[in-house]
Amino acid sequence: MSAELPVDPKALREEVKSKYREVACNPHGEFHFHTGRRAAARLGYDPAVLESLPDVAVESFAGVANPFSLRTLRPGEKVVDVGSGAGFDCFIAAAQVGPSGSVLGIDMLPEMLEKARASAKRMGLTNVEFREGLIEDMPVENGWADVVISNGVINLCADKKRAFEEIWRVLRPGGHLQFADIANGKPVPASAVRNIDLWTA
Amino acid sequence: MLEQTGFVDVSVGPPCDTFGEASGEKKARQFGVYGYAFLARKPS
Repeated sequence: MSAELPVDPKALREEVKSKYREVACNPHGEFHFHTGRRAAARLGYDPAVLESLPDVAVESFAGVANPFSLRTLRPGEKVVDVGSGAGFDCFIAAAQVGPSGSVLGIDMLPEMLEKARASAKRMGLTNVEFREGLIEDMPVENGWADVVISNGVINLCADKKRAFEEIWRVLRPGGHLQFADIANGKPVPASAVRNIDLWTA
Repeated sequence: MLEQTGFVDVSVGPPCDTFGEASGEKKARQFGVYGYAFLARKPS
C-alpha cells in the first residue's frame, strides 16, 4: 500500500464489491443509501425518463446526485461511464447521445455487468456496451471519450489522484468530465478515514 | 484535485440531500455529507 493512501486500495475494493454485489442481487434490501426509482427521483432525474425505463434497469441504481444536471450530453458524443453498475446512467446517456453516439460502461462487478447487459438487450439499445474494468485501469483507448461520467464511484476509490489521471487519459482534448459524488462539509477524523469499514457504511 | 490533474472550467452544482430519510442520514449529518454534481473540461 502506498504510504500516501489512507487505506489499502485492494482491501477497500473488496469491501466495495461486497456491498454493491448485494445492491445488484438484492436491490430491495436494506442499505444506508436510497436505491432505485426512489433514489433517482430524489436526485432530480427527469420523471418522464424514469418512467420510460423498465424496473430492472433502475432498481440497482445507487447514485448520489445527477451527473447530467450541469450539462446535457449532445447527440453523437462518445461517453464512458466509470463504475456503471447496473447501467442506469448509461441508459440515460444513451438516450441523450442518440443512435449516432456511443456509451461505454465500465464496472468491476460481474453481477452488475450481467444485469446491465441484460437490460440493454431488453431495451434494444445498440449504442451501449459494458466492459469489466477498474477506474484505475480502464479498458478504453487514449482519448476515445468526448465525455466521462460517473456517479458515486470516485469517493469509493482510495487513490483518487490515479482515478482522475485515468479519466484524463481516456478523454479527448476538449472533452468533458461530468460526475456526481459526495463531499463532506465537516472534517472527518483521521482515525475514521483510515477505517475501511466506514468508507462504505 | 480536478485542477491539479489539469482540468479547467470546474463548476459544482448545489448540494443534494443524498442520504435524507435513508438509514445513513445520521452519519451523513454528522459530517455534513451531501451529493454534488461536478463539471470540468480537459483543455483542447
